[in-house]
Amino acid sequence: MELKKGSPDFMIFLTVLLLLGIGIIMVFSSSQYASYYQYHDSFHYLRRQFINSLIGIGAMIFVMKMNYQKLKVFAKPALIISFLLLLVLLIDGIGIVRKGSTRWLGVGSMQIQPSELVKVTMVMYLALFLSERQHLMNSFRKGFLPPLGIMGIACVLIMLQPDLGTAMALAGTTVVMLWSAGAKKTHLALLIVFGIILVLLAIFLEPYRMERFIAFLDPWKDPQDTGFQTIQSLLAIGSGGLAGVGLGYGRAKMFYLPERHTDFIFANLCEELGFIGGATVIILFLLFVWRGLKVAVSFPESFGSLLALGVTSMVGIQAIINLGVVTGSLPVTGITLPFISYGGSSLLFSLAGIGLLLNVSRYAGLDR
Amino acid sequence: MQTTTILMRRRIACLFFGAIAVFFLLLLRLAYLQFAMGSELQLKAEQLRMREVPIAAKRGTIYDRNLRKLAISISADSVYALPPEVNYSGKAEEIARTLAPILEIPEEKLLEKITAPRSFEWIKRKVDFEKAQKIRQLDLPGIKVVEESQRFYPKDTLAAHVLGFAGIDNQGLEGIEITRDADLKGVPGNIVVEYDAKGRELPQAVHKYNPPVDGYSLVLTIDETIQYFAERELDKIMSGPSKPKGATIIIMQPKTGEILALANRPGYDSNNYGQFDPQTWRNSAVSNTYEPGSTFKIITTAAALEEGVVTPDDRFYDPGYYEVGGHRIKCWRSYNPHGSQTFREVMQNSCNPGFVEVGLNMENKEKGVFYKYIRAFGFGTKTGIDLPGEAVGIMINEKDLKTINIATISIGQGIAVTPIQLITAVSAVANGGTLMEPQIVREVIDSDNNVVKSFKPKAIRRVISEETAEIERDLLESVVSQGTGRNAYIPGYRVGGKTGTAQKAGPGGYQQGKYVASFIGMAPINDPEIVALVIIDEPQGYPYQGGQVAAPVFKAVVEDTLRYLGIVSQYTYEEEKNQGIKVEPKLISVPEVVNLSPEEAVKVLKVEGLKAEVKGEGKVVTSQTPAGMAKVETGTKVILNLGEADQSLIPGTVTVPDLTGKRIREVAELLSAMGLKLNPDGHGKVVRQEPIPGTKVQAGQEVKVFFTEEEETAETLGP
Repeated sequence: MELKKGSPDFMIFLTVLLLLGIGIIMVFSSSQYASYYQYHDSFHYLRRQFINSLIGIGAMIFVMKMNYQKLKVFAKPALIISFLLLLVLLIDGIGIVRKGSTRWLGVGSMQIQPSELVKVTMVMYLALFLSERQHLMNSFRKGFLPPLGIMGIACVLIMLQPDLGTAMALAGTTVVMLWSAGAKKTHLALLIVFGIILVLLAIFLEPYRMERFIAFLDPWKDPQDTGFQTIQSLLAIGSGGLAGVGLGYGRAKMFYLPERHTDFIFANLCEELGFIGGATVIILFLLFVWRGLKVAVSFPESFGSLLALGVTSMVGIQAIINLGVVTGSLPVTGITLPFISYGGSSLLFSLAGIGLLLNVSRYAGLDR
Repeated sequence: MQTTTILMRRRIACLFFGAIAVFFLLLLRLAYLQFAMGSELQLKAEQLRMREVPIAAKRGTIYDRNLRKLAISISADSVYALPPEVNYSGKAEEIARTLAPILEIPEEKLLEKITAPRSFEWIKRKVDFEKAQKIRQLDLPGIKVVEESQRFYPKDTLAAHVLGFAGIDNQGLEGIEITRDADLKGVPGNIVVEYDAKGRELPQAVHKYNPPVDGYSLVLTIDETIQYFAERELDKIMSGPSKPKGATIIIMQPKTGEILALANRPGYDSNNYGQFDPQTWRNSAVSNTYEPGSTFKIITTAAALEEGVVTPDDRFYDPGYYEVGGHRIKCWRSYNPHGSQTFREVMQNSCNPGFVEVGLNMENKEKGVFYKYIRAFGFGTKTGIDLPGEAVGIMINEKDLKTINIATISIGQGIAVTPIQLITAVSAVANGGTLMEPQIVREVIDSDNNVVKSFKPKAIRRVISEETAEIERDLLESVVSQGTGRNAYIPGYRVGGKTGTAQKAGPGGYQQGKYVASFIGMAPINDPEIVALVIIDEPQGYPYQGGQVAAPVFKAVVEDTLRYLGIVSQYTYEEEKNQGIKVEPKLISVPEVVNLSPEEAVKVLKVEGLKAEVKGEGKVVTSQTPAGMAKVETGTKVILNLGEADQSLIPGTVTVPDLTGKRIREVAELLSAMGLKLNPDGHGKVVRQEPIPGTKVQAGQEVKVFFTEEEETAETLGP
């Protein structure tokens, strides 16, 4: 079967660029007050995010233009490299520690987050693995267990940093891909039960997660400590109303809202741009998911189909977890909002992932 | 190449619907937060960011009836810290080191305060102006000075029991300060400032300024001068030989119920109330209940006269006691019984058996009538005076009332009243029979002196007729002129009153050697302007009787008060009669004739019935002996020294003579002799004149003279 090469999906490109644009504006708006006090420079984060976006778009276009067939070749080595980087992080004194987590590698301003890389390489590898073993999907041992094992190793390595949010996104994406690849429903059900037990164990074994979980159930019980992040987020969102207090006029960013330009940027957005702004972002993500899944459904070859699905799920699941946390619908987990939150690595690898999706979309034969 | 299977496509489509559902739920959640919960969350967020810095309202001034200041609010500076700003500056220790010597607070304690885990912390309230100014100039980060107001009582202890005091936050705590707190306190304002989470004030943030509304001021019925007279006499008696435990004076205007003075001892200083025993804060004049003793006979008499069971000339016989149902009520002079006497004499002698008989006669005529009067006079209920802690008094329950009780209550025992109740009741006798509500506040005024509330005299009820009141006043006058109240006599004024000496009741009966000596009286008796009550609690040793201990205090206070109020002295019927017998020479106020020509001067003196002897040469009189305003007998020789015109006086200047007590013909003669014009008002005798005596005026100027109709008796029974 010969794949017909068309142009990349414009809708995906457009929604991602829109989200990226909103992101740059909101990173500036949410960070300027604090960044002035920290660096005496209101534009500190804006400048970096702008550069990050350019680099990310470059990577996206580069990946998009790559030969589709070569992606299969790169899948395995890329995963091995990212696993090695995760292992390197575990060596004492090499990783960069921030807020109790060891997530970064690098020197000076050149830093990367291997866990962000893993998200992309894992999707690539799973797409390859599942498409090659499509006929073995009914087999628990040969088709179902191996991808889970690989995912499990990645998750354990990530949890050692620790970074529950990324691990959850990774696990979720894996499950979605297994489901789409045709795994047996009994296997999946078993997995979900097992997964829930694992998540509960993760919560109950780590006191701070337990506190966060309790705070999620009733954030006002301890507004100064465990419920603090959720409450500040809710206060910011609630202050927005329909049209918001106006871009730049938010108050929550004045040190009230924690992680204001990263994990909780959506709260700041909702305060300043109101329900209109918040709903726009949610709808853009939904549009993105729709087009991404459309690419996956339409793609004739299972590798490309699973690749598109994996990238779309990865972005969608992260967005859902982040929005859930920010709106107080899920317990607090550190995870960024794709394309909008500040962050070099997450932007770079997310956009690289979009590059994969756009790459695949060229062969999907979709109508514009 | 593996193709995308139908199963895969179907499952991916499923995912899409799952995604729609989840995103839709997120949208719902967002809408719920922003619309349903929006205003609540917004309010909470604002509360978190906004902080109110209170600005105290200025407490209103308390004035006496002549707008003399009794309590004022002065501004005082208070120093406070904004710990987040202090911490942000990173100079906390340096700031503490700088402030410590200025505020005289140890450095460590200061450091603790300015870095306290709060957004606002008082460092020191109400500091000296110089210190505050120094701190203002230093302009230390996070250290601010705010102007607060502080209560100040310029007259210290004066009228402390009326005024009370206000606390550190200017809240009324005692006296009129608490009963009129709502008027005085005003409405505090504030500045709403928005802060970031690190405690820094936001630039271009919401700054709302709600200005405070200053409190209203009060104009009391108290007259500072009369209050001073009362307190002066209280201090005298307290340090005098009788060394009483306490004392109270109330002076009331009977026609209006307005209280001119109210004072107790022991007293305190409203400025430093904390340094005095809280017992001294107690306003005995309204909070104490005591057995009024003989002063209550005024009430017995009023009721009996009104009911017609007695007239002043009815005859009584006092064997030294009166027997009621087996009890013997002794007269205070049982060792030497009064014997046969008229009711007038019973009153003068304060004879207990006489009053018991009157009381019982009343009860025999109609059961319960005496109690009806007692209640009508306001006993057994609060008077409603605008001061805190007023007591009701104690009255035996009417159902349990026995004849013996009626008998003892007739002489003021077996009933407990408050001083304010007694003076209010007696004022009804003074004003012709109407019970007035005692009044302490005349007006509430705002900062521009506009009247906000005005308290008019309030008549509660008529208790006795005008005639009864007049007869009783006549009896009361005779108590002072001929009876037990002699020590209250004020020469030149007609005073009436009643003494009281009550043994204090304690557990197990009356206590030996513990008395309440009192005197209540009024003047001038024909038309009383003031009623005054003096109570001396537990005078030590002898004398302890009201007539001996309280009456002289009454005399001293009332004499000064009458003079101060400009109430012209008059002679009583008796005095005028006495003068007739003794042919007492009439005293004349010598007119000042300085600056008049010798001829004019001699003429003026002649008009006044004085002789003149001119000495020296010159155009005008430069000095005279005796000097002007001196009181001399008719026919006295006045030496006039002549000389050139006095440089200090403008030619033609004359001194206004004292016209008080003169009739219109005399006034006209005298003024024309001095070259002044007369502008008369009313007829009778002179009570007031403008300008007042001794004023230097230009010849030809008009003198306004007010005449008042005299009593018929005085008119017809001249010397």
